Amino acid sequence: MALLTVKNLSVGYHTRKGFLKSVQGVSFTLDQGKSLGLVGESGCGKTTIGMALMGLLPDNAAVTGGEILFEDQDLLKMSKKEIRQVRWKKIAMIFQAAMNALNPVHRVGEQIAEAILAHDTDISEEAAMKQVEGLFDLVGIPLDRMRDYPHHYSGGMKQRAIIAMALACHPSLIIADEPTTALDVIVQDQILSAIKDFQNKLNISVIFISHDIAVVADVCDNIGIMFAGQLVEYGRIEDVFDKPMHPYTKSLLASYLTLDKDAVQPDSYLCKPPDLINPTPGCRFCERCSVAEAACSLMAPEWVEISSTHKALCYQCK
Amino acid sequence: MTENGSIQISNGNKKTPKKFPMVERFLEGWSVYKENLIGKIGLTLLIIFALMALCSFFPPMIDPMYHPMTGVDPLISHSTSPSWRHWLGTDFIGRDIFCQLLAGARIAFMVGISAAFMSILLGTAIGMIAGYSRKIVDTLLMRLADMIMVMPTLLVVLILSSLFGQLNIWTIVLLIALFRWPGVSRVIRAQTLSLKERPFIEAAKVAGASHFRIIFRHIMPNVLPLSLLYMTFRVTSAIIIEAALAFLGFGDPSTVSWGMMLQWVWKTGHMFQAPYWLLPPGICISLLTLSFYMLGRAMEEVLDPRLRKEVAQE
Amino acid sequence: MKEPNKVILQLEHISKTYRTRASLFKGDPKEVVALNDVSFNIFKGEIFGLVGESGSGKTTTGRLIVKLEEPDDGKLLLDGNDITKFKKKALKNFRRKVQMIFQDPYQSLNPYLSVYDSVSEPLVVHNVGNSETRKDMVRESLNSVGLSPPDDFFYRYPHQMSGGQRQRIAIARAMVLKPEFVVADEPTSMLDASIAIHIFNILADLQKKLNVTFLFITHSLAAARYLCDRIAVIYKGELVEIGSAENIIQNPSHPYTRALIQAHPKFRY
Repeated sequence: MALLTVKNLSVGYHTRKGFLKSVQGVSFTLDQGKSLGLVGESGCGKTTIGMALMGLLPDNAAVTGGEILFEDQDLLKMSKKEIRQVRWKKIAMIFQAAMNALNPVHRVGEQIAEAILAHDTDISEEAAMKQVEGLFDLVGIPLDRMRDYPHHYSGGMKQRAIIAMALACHPSLIIADEPTTALDVIVQDQILSAIKDFQNKLNISVIFISHDIAVVADVCDNIGIMFAGQLVEYGRIEDVFDKPMHPYTKSLLASYLTLDKDAVQPDSYLCKPPDLINPTPGCRFCERCSVAEAACSLMAPEWVEISSTHKALCYQCK
Repeated sequence: MTENGSIQISNGNKKTPKKFPMVERFLEGWSVYKENLIGKIGLTLLIIFALMALCSFFPPMIDPMYHPMTGVDPLISHSTSPSWRHWLGTDFIGRDIFCQLLAGARIAFMVGISAAFMSILLGTAIGMIAGYSRKIVDTLLMRLADMIMVMPTLLVVLILSSLFGQLNIWTIVLLIALFRWPGVSRVIRAQTLSLKERPFIEAAKVAGASHFRIIFRHIMPNVLPLSLLYMTFRVTSAIIIEAALAFLGFGDPSTVSWGMMLQWVWKTGHMFQAPYWLLPPGICISLLTLSFYMLGRAMEEVLDPRLRKEVAQE
Repeated sequence: MKEPNKVILQLEHISKTYRTRASLFKGDPKEVVALNDVSFNIFKGEIFGLVGESGSGKTTTGRLIVKLEEPDDGKLLLDGNDITKFKKKALKNFRRKVQMIFQDPYQSLNPYLSVYDSVSEPLVVHNVGNSETRKDMVRESLNSVGLSPPDDFFYRYPHQMSGGQRQRIAIARAMVLKPEFVVADEPTSMLDASIAIHIFNILADLQKKLNVTFLFITHSLAAARYLCDRIAVIYKGELVEIGSAENIIQNPSHPYTRALIQAHPKFRY
C-alpha cells in the first residue's frame, strides 16, 4: 500500500490578472521508504504541490480538484485542526532558503527542542534535548555546537540543522524543496549524502523538489518531470534517464553539464513563459518543442506507457 | 550557434509595450488603490475640496458682494445666520461666509501643496546626498537636520513674525518648508543607504556614471515613491500650521484662509453666538487634513508591495 | 581568437583583508583575509575561469578587477598599466574597457529604468553617439544576447521579465560599449539549471564575435569546463591550481580540487 497517492491534483492562485492554473491534473504515488524527485523550471508548479501536501497554501490559492491520500486519508478534506496533527509529525518540510528559517536570537539546539515540544506535550525538556543530540548525530553536526546561535553556523550547517528540525518528530514523509540551492558543490554533496543516509536509516520517504536534474539523480528512486503545471514524464530514475521520452526531459538532460561528457547543444529557446492563466488546449510544451507537429497544439496529449514503470505525456513517443 | 540560440518572441504577446510606461504603472497602482476603503473615502473628500477650491472663482463673478475679502452685502452689515442669499450666513461685516470657505479651500490647497512640495524637494535632495556621501558630509547634513527638527516650527515662525511684522503667505509657505524637510530627509537617507549597496547601483558605477548621475538618475526614481508618500503627510502639517498662524493673528491679513476665518470669529466675540461661522472652517480643516492622511495611508499600500514586486517565470 | 602571448590582465601579489569594527555586541574587531598573495595572468581573447566556493575570494577578485574595491597590497595591470593608480580621465577610460555582469539578475537592473534606458546607460555616460545611433547600438546588443526583435523589449521593465531575460539584458548592458574585458560573476547561480547553458552559449558567442576576454567566476567546475580555456582554482583566498580546464579535471594536483571533482553530482546513467 502506497504511503502517498496524489490523484489528479489541480491547484490555482487567484491573481489580479486572472486565475493562475499552477498545477493541473498531477498524479503520482510514493511508497514508504522510497524517494521521488520533482524536477522542473521555476513556475512549473512543483513548490505548489509541496505546499499543498503540507496544507500550507496561501490564502489566494484554491484546490480545484483531485485528492491527496496520505496513509489512506484525504488531506484535502481535513479540517485545519486535523492537518496540524499531520503536519510536522507525519509530514515535514524543508523549505527553500530554509537557512533563513532559523531564529537568529535563539540557540539552535533550543529551537529544535522547541519543535519537538510543540508536537509532543508529554515529553520533558531534558528528554527533548536528548532527542536533539540524537538528531545532531544523525545529520552530522558536532554536539558542542548545540548551544551556538545560527550566525555561528556556516550555510551547510544551517541546512543540516533545518533537516534535523524536520526529522525531529519522526515523520514518515519529508518534502525537501530545493534544499541545496545557494550551497557550494562540496556542501551540496554532503547534504545530499546526509539525506540519503537518514532516508535509509529511518526508512523515511522523501519528495525532492528541484530545478536541477543533477541533484535529483543521485538521491531519488523515482522522478517526475514537470512543465507548466503538468507532469510530463514519470517513472523510475533509471528508466527516465536511460530512455528519456518527452522532448522536455531530453532538453533538461542535455542542458546538464558534466565533468566528463561533452554537453549536447540545446534547442533554441523561447523567451515567453507558458501562459498559466489561459493555457493552450493542446500540449503546453509545443511552442518550445523541436519535434512538435500541428496536432500537438490542438489536442491535449495523453499518457503513453513506455513500460510498467515509465510513462510520458506526449504523442511523439509511441 | 547564434541562429539556433536566438530567441523569438512569440506573437501571442498581449500588447506592445507603450512608450509611456508611467501611465501603465499608474494604472497598475490605481487598481490596488481602488480596493482600499480608506483611500476611496479620502480621495472622494479631496475631490470635493478640490471642486470647492475651483468654484471659489465663481461667486465674485456672479455678484461682487460675494467676494470673500471685499464683498459686502449692501443690505447686511453684521453677522447673520444662513439664508438663501447667503448659504452659510455672513460674518461680522456682512461678507458671505460660504465664499470665504471656498476661498479658504483654495488657500489651503495652495499652501499645503506648495509647502509640502518644497519641503519634499529639499528633504529628498539632502537625504539622498547624505545617504550617498561619506561620513563628513552625511554627518554635517544630519546634524543640521537634527538641529532644525528640534526647533518648534510654530514658535519660531511666531517669533519671526513678531520681529518682522505681518508675513506674506508665501513667506509662511517658505518657512514651513524650511522647518519641515528634516523628517523627510531622514527617511530618504535610510532608503538611500540601503539602495547604495544594491547591484544595480554598482553596475552604474562600473559603467562609469558620476556620483551626481547615480544619485539623480538611479537613486532618485527609487526613493521618489517614498517622497511622494511623505508629501501627503507634509500637506496635513502645512495646512494646520498655516491655520494656527492665521488663528493666532500672524497670518497674511490679505488672504482669506480658514484659520483667518476662525480668527475673525474669535476676535469679534462671535465664538458662541455664530456656530454657522465657527463650525464650517473648523470642520473643513479637520476633514481636509484627514483626507490627505487617508490618501497617504492608501498610497502606502500601493507602494509597498510594488516596491518589492518580483514576477514572471522562465 | 586567442593571443596566447599577449597578456591583457595581470594580478601580482594581490591581498585584501576585510576588517569589521569593534562593536558592543560583536566584540573585538575581526579580520577576514579575503585574498592572500594572489597572482595570475589572463591572456587576451580567452575565457578564464575562477572556480571556488563561497568565501574563497573569487567574488572579491572580480570586484577588485572592476575597481569596485581597492586591494590592500599588490598590483593590478591592464595592458601593462597599473589600474590602482587610475584617476579621473584614465579611470573613465578604464570603465569603457572593463565591465561586469553581476550575479543576481533580480537586483542588477534598476527597476525604474526601461530596458532601453538600462542598456544605453553606458553609452550615455561615455557620451557615445546620438539618440539614433544609440538605438542602433542597443538593438545590436540585444540581438547578440538573443532577445529579438529588440524593439519589442525597448520599453519593458525588469519586473515584467523572467530571471533569464533579465540576465540577458544585464549582459547586453555590459557589452554595449564593446569592452575589452568582462568579469562575469556567477552569472547563472540565481537561474534555473536548464537556462544556464543558454547563458554560457551567449558568452561563448560574444567572445568569438567581439574577441572580448572574460573572467568567468563560478563555483561549478563543470560550468568552467564547458566554457573556459583555462581555469584557476581558489581556496580560502589562495590560488591552489591553475591550468587548462581538461588538464585540471583529469589530473588534479591539489587535494581541494580533488574534493571538488569528487563532490560533483555524477550521472550514473
